[in-house]
Amino acid sequence: MSTTEVLAAALLLAGGLFYLAGTVGLLRFPDVYSRLHALTKADNLGLLLVCSGLSLLAGSWRAAALLGTIWLLGLLAATVSAHLIARHARARHFNGGEQ
Amino acid sequence: MTDLAVDVLIGAGLLALAWQTIIGKSLFRGIVLFVVFGLTMALAWARMGAPDLALAEAAIGAGVTGALMLVAFRRLVRIRPEQSAQPALRRSRLALPVAVLAGSLVAVIGLAVVAVERDPAVAGQAVAQALTDSGLGNPITGVLLLYRNLDTLLEVAVLLAAFLAARTVFGEDEARSPTPSRREVPLVGALLAIIVPLTILIATHLLLAGSREPGGAFQAGAVLAASGVLLVLAGRLQPAAGLSSWPALGLTLGLMLFSLIGLAVMAFGAPLLALPGLWAVYLIETAMMLSIAMTLVLLFAGASGLRRGSP
Repeated sequence: MSTTEVLAAALLLAGGLFYLAGTVGLLRFPDVYSRLHALTKADNLGLLLVCSGLSLLAGSWRAAALLGTIWLLGLLAATVSAHLIARHARARHFNGGEQ
Repeated sequence: MTDLAVDVLIGAGLLALAWQTIIGKSLFRGIVLFVVFGLTMALAWARMGAPDLALAEAAIGAGVTGALMLVAFRRLVRIRPEQSAQPALRRSRLALPVAVLAGSLVAVIGLAVVAVERDPAVAGQAVAQALTDSGLGNPITGVLLLYRNLDTLLEVAVLLAAFLAARTVFGEDEARSPTPSRREVPLVGALLAIIVPLTILIATHLLLAGSREPGGAFQAGAVLAASGVLLVLAGRLQPAAGLSSWPALGLTLGLMLFSLIGLAVMAFGAPLLALPGLWAVYLIETAMMLSIAMTLVLLFAGASGLRRGSP
């Protein structure tokens, strides 16, 4: 195994760990806000680590740029949807609806 | 070994997801699982080396169908709250016979296909030669437009028929009731400003790439429809009653242009629907993309027209 492969494997494993932690958090945390907190870590950092690992393995700037774009788009979608879910939960909370 | 493990994981996941989608405790859960099923199915197609199908499954099967189901569920909650809380599955005495029948049909067809003796010298090479002559590098698009163009034309007609049928069901009252006005969230405007142009870019790429690489009018139309769905969700496009001119043109453009060119070639002695060249392919595919996108967005909006909403 070359150094690049070892580095890529480490990045992919670290990314997988973030996804695992995020999923456990989503299932175990008590309310909407802390679940979102767990989930967005997986979406942001987990995806970045996986994409970096894959770009190292792909070994071309084109693939790396594409994976980077995927990460940025994922980041954008995750940010806005987490924001909207939190906002909706908060509005329901203040309107006296159930949590 | 790893490949086999991944394939087994996807296959088993698909079966489990399909089962959970059907027996899910609530309708909403079933819809969400259906979307996950569609994405996993896209993964399976991609692994089987069918990127065209993977794209179509992800964009139409998971994306647009999921959005349509969710919006239908939202209406169901509003009209019949008690029904929306019921489980998705209705037990029926017909279920088992139908399942056995469908299963044996699949088995018989599968066995028949496996048993067919292929003669590689006949059809395959003729098709490959015709595709090279036509300049269409993507065999899927090529076969669809050169040999199955009547099918493709009728698929567009089916979409139009589906929209007309839906229109008679949802009626005009539904469209007139204004969507609940909500204050626009600051981030949503920023998201739209980035996503909508990007989606149009991707749809155009899929359309143009469709002649050489995976892609084509259906995938491009579904991706384009996604940006329309976003605009409707954000309130930038509001459902409007009555069929105004530009949505009507969008709805029928693909069918009209395809039929027109398909008929016009007969005047030059060519058979019906024999496309005269690559320019006609691009023209028809563009018109079909616009029609598919317009149909899907109008179905999502549940109206026969759209008007500009306040940002």
